[in-house]
Amino acid sequence: MADPQPPQRAARIAQQDEADLVLRAAAGDRSAFGVLVERYAGVARRVARAVLGNPEDADDAAQDAMLSALVKLDQYDPRRPFGPWLLRIVANAATDRRRRRTVRRVEPLDAGLTAGGPRPDTTAERRALGERLRQALAELPERRRVAVVLFDVEGYSHAEIAAVLGIPEGTVRSEVFHARRRLRALLADWKEEA
Amino acid sequence: MKEPLPFDHRPDPLVGEALRQALEPGDATPFVARVLARAAEVRIASWDAVLARWARPGVAAAVLVALLAGYLVGRATAAPAPRPSVYDALLAPPAHPGEVEIVLASVIGN
Repeated sequence: MADPQPPQRAARIAQQDEADLVLRAAAGDRSAFGVLVERYAGVARRVARAVLGNPEDADDAAQDAMLSALVKLDQYDPRRPFGPWLLRIVANAATDRRRRRTVRRVEPLDAGLTAGGPRPDTTAERRALGERLRQALAELPERRRVAVVLFDVEGYSHAEIAAVLGIPEGTVRSEVFHARRRLRALLADWKEEA
Repeated sequence: MKEPLPFDHRPDPLVGEALRQALEPGDATPFVARVLARAAEVRIASWDAVLARWARPGVAAAVLVALLAGYLVGRATAAPAPRPSVYDALLAPPAHPGEVEIVLASVIGN
């Protein structure tokens, strides 16, 4: 069995691979673009959902961002990682959509969820926890939401998130910390109730 | 639960997993298909497209340059002969001395 790649080398190979995919996509290779879309669909949709809340809006924003990235591929610097470059476009697309969209009536949450009502089974419990987390996330400032999702869910570094959000690295650390404190408190309450 | 350190540099697996589940967008296949279908309609800015975009301004600029060059050349060739200076007029030997004398004589005679 081949030795596993050291993390840095593996990351470098992945980056070269992506730079190659981007070059091919920019030259009109739709299959290369397809690979990039498949690779980043999950994170792009999650980031957009963290900003917008509504999954349909989030998918529309993620799609717009992917297409916008396709058009701007010639502006991408292949020496830098592709993910943060793309996610910056995604975050901007989601923010633009949130600003543009008309104020919609927010669906009231199930009273059982907000009051910690009965939880008939694990699936329902998980759904309820998800609902609570999304609610808590929605209460956070937008930048904080994206920062904590990129850091704790997607595993991006503070520096990469700083590039995505266009803010200093120290501010990213602070945003992640504040978001975590809020979300951890919520999870702790949930555990106690359970 | 332990309070997180202010600037913890490691991802928090508990928060991360809970958030991942909360934000899970579901099956990516329809989304990817939709994006790729729309991408087929998008034109990438290739070099010929860039050239095409610049063709009209390029032609207009070339016409302007040609007009300007024509104007300058025309002005240079059609320029009047330099006027003689006062020195030339008074001291230089006249080209047709007889005629000048006739003119002067007629003026003095009057």
